[in-house]
Amino acid sequence: MPEDLNQKISQFLDNELDHVQALNLLKKVQLQSELQDKLNRYEAISHAMRTDIFLLTKADFSKKISQQIQKEPVYLLSQHKAFKPSHKQIAVAASIAIVAVIAGHSMNDRDQYPKAALAIQVAQNQLPEQPSNSVGHANQAVQDPLNKRINDYLQAHNSSVYTNGEADFQHFARVTAYSHK
Amino acid sequence: MTVVKLFFVALLLSIKIASAREPELNAQQVLEKMNHAMEVLNYQGTVAFLKNGKLEPMKYVHAAAKGVQQERLLSLNSPLREIIRDAGKVSCLFKESQQSIVDHRPFERSFLVDVPYNLDEMGAIYQFEVVGEENVAMLPSYVVAIQPKDTARYTRKIWIEKQQFLPLKIVLYDNQGVPLEQVVFTEIEVKDSLPFVDVKFLDSIHPAKHIHQLQSQSSDQAAFIVTELPKGFREVFFTRKPMHNAEQPVDHLLLSDGFTSVSIYMESKSAAMQSGLQSVGAVNSYSRTIKNYQLTVMGEAPAETVKFIAEGIKLRDLKD
Repeated sequence: MPEDLNQKISQFLDNELDHVQALNLLKKVQLQSELQDKLNRYEAISHAMRTDIFLLTKADFSKKISQQIQKEPVYLLSQHKAFKPSHKQIAVAASIAIVAVIAGHSMNDRDQYPKAALAIQVAQNQLPEQPSNSVGHANQAVQDPLNKRINDYLQAHNSSVYTNGEADFQHFARVTAYSHK
Repeated sequence: MTVVKLFFVALLLSIKIASAREPELNAQQVLEKMNHAMEVLNYQGTVAFLKNGKLEPMKYVHAAAKGVQQERLLSLNSPLREIIRDAGKVSCLFKESQQSIVDHRPFERSFLVDVPYNLDEMGAIYQFEVVGEENVAMLPSYVVAIQPKDTARYTRKIWIEKQQFLPLKIVLYDNQGVPLEQVVFTEIEVKDSLPFVDVKFLDSIHPAKHIHQLQSQSSDQAAFIVTELPKGFREVFFTRKPMHNAEQPVDHLLLSDGFTSVSIYMESKSAAMQSGLQSVGAVNSYSRTIKNYQLTVMGEAPAETVKFIAEGIKLRDLKD
């Protein structure tokens, strides 16, 4: 039977097992540490044969990261202490970054569809920030005659005031951020 | 050669032949198909307008039958309002206040995007190119870039759905490539027919306010002369009418190059005048005084463009 299992592991790595067979094999691997080692060895061999580069990660890599995160204290109040990164924290951050990069690569193909769904969010992020010297609502009362003139001009120029959520039409269009250069 | 290899060679050849039979559309053809689809199809969906850093989601309905069109927008957020465009007229009803406005705008066609019918004429000032294919609202779309050949106007990109040729996304970029305004459909569906809605805004308690009942006049009557314009800009209409109050007429000349529109306003000087460059979202304006008049040039164009036009304007009765 070990021969059979070896064969199955090899087929599994070559993606030649069907769903049920793969599931059965993984169940067995989960229960036997010997098989786990064997799977890792076969995977390493397979990688080395296919490519020149092989990065070996330890089997308990993700488990250790998880343990490190568990050890991190939870702050219920915001901390105002100056941030002094320790070697341990840098190591944890680097580990998480590696995981994020690997996860990002594996998710890359599936990102295409969410891109469309997040179009609005992205679009919002892409919009330029309003200049700091923008004239806000508070100043409008003071500059009302000027804003009314500009509002009237904007309204006459095109119909975008109707699709502008800020339009209240007391002055037909309220200028929300009219910056003077 | 194995049977499998032969099969793949045959498959590749057949794909090549099939693709050769269906020539790819160029940008101009895609835009022309979009113009047609926007006019004849019945479609509805949710569209988000992103302007001046604000998001305005709206329900959108376009009904078309026998050459007649109606465009309808329903705001999803306050102030709740219904906006209907039909036959060159925009009617807006505010649900809460019951205030209504009827605005006559014969020179505009759509709340989404106005693309000129004759794109051949635009070739001197804009370059049209299909720059890719992307999904918008889960629908495969052509990405068409409308790139100006100078820096006097902004770049646009339109995402046009590949089956029906409806515009799903329109973005206006400044000369640094930063998005200034966006119109994006989050969902859209095409129907066989959609009902036209009667505009019943008028009642005795809340009479509709009519604005800009425009009768285009000759620009020879304008108090000013435009001496210099960026290439491609042409007069759309001119009108002289009261704008802020009944006593004070304002000269208004609308210019357009097909995509970019610029308005020139001239009126008697007042204390409210503020000279210089100003901006709101994609709209830039430049104001200055000429003798007893105040002049403002405003449009969705770079600040340099509105300033350039404003500085080339003279009073008509001046001989200089």
